[in-house]
Amino acid sequence: MCSLCPLIFLLVHQETLSTPESLSLYSAWFPPLGIDFHLKIDALSLPFLFITAIVIPVSICVAKSNNETPLTAQFYALILGLQTLTLAFFTAQNLILFIALWEAILFPIYFIILFWGGHGRQKASLKFLLYMLAGSALMVAAALALYSYSAVNGNPTFDIDALKSIPLPVSAQKILLAIFVLAFAVKTPLFPFHAWLPAAYGQASTSGTILLAGVLSKAGIYALLKIGVGIFPEVFKEVSPFLAALAIIGVLYAAVAAAVQNDFKQLIAYSSLSHVNFILVGIFTWDATAHSAAILQAFNHSITITALFTVAFWLENRIGSTSIGQVHGVAKHMPKLCWITLAFAMAAISLPSTSNFVGELIILERLFQQNVLQAVLLTLSVILSAIYMLRWMQKVFFEEPTPLPGKSNDLRFSEIAIIAPLMLIIFWIGIYPAPALRQIKLAVINEEINK
Amino acid sequence: MNSSLSITDLASMAPLLIFLFSTLSLMMIDCFPTKSTLRWIFVFPIAIQILAAVVTLYAPLSENPLLTRWIAFDPLARFFTLLFICIGIGCSLLAISLFQNPEISSSNIGRGEYFILLLCAIAGLIMIGSAADFLVLFAGIEILSIALYALCGYIKNAGYSYESSMKYFLMGALATAFFLYGVALIYGATGTTSFAALLPAYQKLASPSDLALFTCGIAFVTAALAFKAALVPFQAWAPDVYAAAPTSVVAFMAIGTKIGAFAAFIRIFLFYMPEFSPLWNGAMSVIAYATLIYANFVALRQKELRRFFAYSGISHAGFLLIPLVVGTAGAIPSALFYLSMYALATFVAFAIIATIDKPSQPLLMTDLSGLFYRSPLNASLLTLSLLTLAGIPPSVGFFAKFYIFKEAFSAGYIGLVIVGSLMSVLAAFYYLRIIALMATSEQTAQQLMPLLLSPTARFVSVFSAAGIIMLSLFPAPLLSLLNNLTMALP
Repeated sequence: MCSLCPLIFLLVHQETLSTPESLSLYSAWFPPLGIDFHLKIDALSLPFLFITAIVIPVSICVAKSNNETPLTAQFYALILGLQTLTLAFFTAQNLILFIALWEAILFPIYFIILFWGGHGRQKASLKFLLYMLAGSALMVAAALALYSYSAVNGNPTFDIDALKSIPLPVSAQKILLAIFVLAFAVKTPLFPFHAWLPAAYGQASTSGTILLAGVLSKAGIYALLKIGVGIFPEVFKEVSPFLAALAIIGVLYAAVAAAVQNDFKQLIAYSSLSHVNFILVGIFTWDATAHSAAILQAFNHSITITALFTVAFWLENRIGSTSIGQVHGVAKHMPKLCWITLAFAMAAISLPSTSNFVGELIILERLFQQNVLQAVLLTLSVILSAIYMLRWMQKVFFEEPTPLPGKSNDLRFSEIAIIAPLMLIIFWIGIYPAPALRQIKLAVINEEINK
Repeated sequence: MNSSLSITDLASMAPLLIFLFSTLSLMMIDCFPTKSTLRWIFVFPIAIQILAAVVTLYAPLSENPLLTRWIAFDPLARFFTLLFICIGIGCSLLAISLFQNPEISSSNIGRGEYFILLLCAIAGLIMIGSAADFLVLFAGIEILSIALYALCGYIKNAGYSYESSMKYFLMGALATAFFLYGVALIYGATGTTSFAALLPAYQKLASPSDLALFTCGIAFVTAALAFKAALVPFQAWAPDVYAAAPTSVVAFMAIGTKIGAFAAFIRIFLFYMPEFSPLWNGAMSVIAYATLIYANFVALRQKELRRFFAYSGISHAGFLLIPLVVGTAGAIPSALFYLSMYALATFVAFAIIATIDKPSQPLLMTDLSGLFYRSPLNASLLTLSLLTLAGIPPSVGFFAKFYIFKEAFSAGYIGLVIVGSLMSVLAAFYYLRIIALMATSEQTAQQLMPLLLSPTARFVSVFSAAGIIMLSLFPAPLLSLLNNLTMALP
């Protein structure tokens, strides 16, 4: 229940929070080191706060709807800890606080995989964590470099807003940006830094997977916008086409990988990788509209992927496995589950009237303005996603029904109650995206003003 | 010149005197044992140390030149004294858990001597922390070391333990020889053994032969201290000695001896002779690189728990070298902050290891498997401690490392920052591997021997863990205290 508090707070105060310079909290933490506990909600952090506030309650409900977890108290403690750290991360204004929280949010997820994961959980969780730590190993050094450059102005600082205006030599910018982007790319993950993903997504319990895909990957996207675009605009613009090419390869690679999976949890994991890279294409398309579409798409992706993992988990519980091809014709036994899954699969394919359509279309359109070839290649992903999603739907839900191992029980009311709000959001943004877009525009406009 | 000691002077030396007299009286008590003294003998050293800690807080700072020539009475010395007494209290509490171990309590090993030796070692540490002259420093190191040689072989019925003691003694004797020879060379060059007179004397050195003498002397002293701190390439003794000594003694060596060695380094090279020669800083930076890289790589492959903590301790010594490389008085607070963090986290770790201790056998990492199911509290505390040692935010370990990196970066040692950051990833790997081991399933856990329930070890672990959490959330008081210490520089 506590996990809903941030959402309620955000909804109630939405109007006041939309203004820039809205709400901040400041208290000195390590005064001689220049580390302050400085949190501020601005237009950029607001969508990401909403993501956290929506996804985490759902992940708790999913864990609760099936009594799969021993040590439940510890489990909820970890999730609430994660929520706290994530909310602080999305509002941190001090670079060192930002980096500290960036690494700290890994640990609740690490423990969730370690204790409530599958058979290979120990290896998977360690691999996940080591990739993350290795990726961000040099971030502290980069932050110290920024600190020493900011000393030129006579007032060395770790304040992110202040760092935006310091003069940086281009050569230094390149190295520092590379360090930061590496860290962010591993966490998101950008192709080819995704090697940790299949094991971690596969071994984590469903709540863990939802947290990885719904919350953690968005931390990387937020960080790219906040640090990459915020502090190093010129160099970031220069390297954007190269990174966009990587992201497009990632979109297509992950889509093809998803199409050949025989396990639908892995299929959704790869589809998540594909869509996240699509969002990254939006960020690497140097254009304000594309950036706002990327933010919108980050929000949409969180909702869609949360819903997909949830329904896949319910399906797994009912048919007893995650493999595609053993059980067919589930639609006959569980029509409600089938139609709800189909709706989310459609959203993942980004059919018109679902929220993903809006975001992906804008990104494609802006990319087309800049690079036709890249845009054309990216369009292929829409076809590929239709292939893998419909293949899953067809093989498992349709075709000739096979008898189920247990007795067939369709979705309960409580389960529909968990999933219905997500569907509402998807169709609301899909059919009437104006309010959400207006909100997100503010973030990008602030960014422009800062430049 | 005043040639007699007043009451104030005696009061200012009170902590040391308390240790002296309590050690002697403990010896007398131990000579005439009755049933009740045997049972309650541990209360005495703990009470004495608490008394000494309180006295330290209120002791006046003597200005009698008869004393200040030898012993420094300054806030830094007071900080070290308090720190060492706290370490002593913690180690005494851990020692009680050692004597509760069925393997020990059933044998005829005396208890009194252990505490006599421990109090001696603490007194030696206090002398190191407040030394103002090479001779006092030497006396402190020797009091500490000789007590430790005996403590390492304390479990007399385990041949294993002798090996530890003997190795430590032979290597330690060599280090002592180096130290004395170094002091002699320095005296030969400058004509003084007093720290305060060292820097002016060095700056007056003109002839190349004197300079060479002085440099050799400093090199020998540095090598001897590096031996005590177990820095690469003087680290070879540590894993063997740690592996075979009783756990509570290992805790004392890992915390007390390490901090003692760094206290000596800080005293001489940061406090009295900051940046006296770039050559020294360069040499230290080579040692720092070697220590960081060697220890972290070797620690990856350890399977034995105490041996692992030896390498983990060496790697932390590598981080602690960074402020020494920087070599300014401004780097002292960062080193002290790191030392405090290290002491707290290591105490938690050893207090939990004490609950699975097997005094006469090697202690394997797999003995920890399934700890989360056998004892969730212990496992969580150990996790907290390991994450702190690994420098994972938001624990204080991250900020302690960050403080050191910041000092190094602003002094231009960017290479050390980068190597240190990369090595932190390796460190995270080997600490997390232990955490993963503790999370293995219950079946394996049940085959292991039952946990030793010791209220004193529990107290140490909970208290130190609370210290870590407090320090993570409210570091400002300690930081401002440490910064005030260095304000009062000579």
